Amino acid sequence: MYQFNYAKPATVAEAATLYANAEDPVFLSGGQTLIPTLRQRLAAPTDVIDLSGIGELSGIAVGDGKVTVGAFTRHCAVAESAEVQAAIPALADLAGRIGDAQVRNCGTIGGSVANSDPAADYPAAVVALGATVRTDKRSISGDDFFRDLFETALEPGEIITSIEFPIPDRAAYRKFPNPASRYAVVGVMVADFGGNVRVGVTGAGPCAFRARTIEDMLNANLSTSALDGVEVPDAGFNNDLHASAEYRAHLVKVMARRAVSDLLGA
Amino acid sequence: MDQSGEYRIPAERADVWRALNDPDTLKRCIDGCQSMERRPDGGFAAVVKARVGPVRAVFNAALDLADINPPESYTINVAVKGGPAGFARGSAAVTLAAQGEETMLRYAASANIGGKLAQIGSRLIDGAARKMADDFFKAFHAEMSGRTPNPAPRPQDDGRAAVPINIQVNT
Repeated sequence: MYQFNYAKPATVAEAATLYANAEDPVFLSGGQTLIPTLRQRLAAPTDVIDLSGIGELSGIAVGDGKVTVGAFTRHCAVAESAEVQAAIPALADLAGRIGDAQVRNCGTIGGSVANSDPAADYPAAVVALGATVRTDKRSISGDDFFRDLFETALEPGEIITSIEFPIPDRAAYRKFPNPASRYAVVGVMVADFGGNVRVGVTGAGPCAFRARTIEDMLNANLSTSALDGVEVPDAGFNNDLHASAEYRAHLVKVMARRAVSDLLGA
Repeated sequence: MDQSGEYRIPAERADVWRALNDPDTLKRCIDGCQSMERRPDGGFAAVVKARVGPVRAVFNAALDLADINPPESYTINVAVKGGPAGFARGSAAVTLAAQGEETMLRYAASANIGGKLAQIGSRLIDGAARKMADDFFKAFHAEMSGRTPNPAPRPQDDGRAAVPINIQVNT
């Protein structure tokens, strides 16, 4: 690692001020992406601002038809939360399948969502559940949050404070994990809000997105057979040593079917 | 890694050729480009601060032009040194086809990436390369659109700045 200034503020406001006054700062959340990057010297920020000391960023609250997860809440806390398991079991299930135990014990939901890694799991839930991303400045709709490869609607220095997930009637998440990293080669969440079905896809494209064609077919007929004839074009899909774009397009169909099957309890 | 693509540029071929050989235009169109200078031997020396997710590294790139056939085609050979981050070497064959007052730009590139960049980034290199190419041509498209007097309205210019017609990435 290169040398850098380290700060551990106690409030969000203090973190924002530190960021504004630094030359080339970066926020450190769970560090599951940033720390390896720093160790490999692929980034050399002047200031690392550690968000782990900000108590107001952690915690889970359920009420008013939604689950609110503080940005610094670690994956293991979401996975093991009895409240999340009762309200949105698919979200707890998703969190429990991220990476490995070490990653889940350190990684945070805010870090995952802010990073917008194309293969991260949480973005599928943000999109499929129509979550609202709350920051220190505003609220951002989950539909508008993910913009491109590692690009989100966040402004430089903007801090995610919490993510609000509306509670669906039922939902399910299925992914095809990379066997080494458990990153989603493709992951699909299907959520049913009183007959209105939303489908979020991660891993397939540069960032998470809603699969509107699949949504339309499931809104007409919520069954696995509804997806028999679905066409998923692979234009713009990721194409790398792990999977071709064509293969990812196929996996979207397969994971969507499996998620629908889970959701229906079949 | 191989990558190819084609873009319709709303400018005449001679203008596109000139712009592709102009260091100032190139600098404006490359995100994070801190300097772009023409060397005495005709090539370019560039310093680019690349930002892809958590990676923010400064790269020194040497661009050499070969097979120069104005205003139709050339090959760019690129050697990149990223200091501790790693290195990359690649080439892109660029052809320009006149289509009335517009130009169809096609490129076919291949690259080899090594060092730590390849170790940590192998999962993401292809997507990042595609995005960088796309960002460049979006900016280049906007730059050339601004120069064209009376650009003819085209059906595919439906409010989108860039018109990537086809991008292929093969590993």
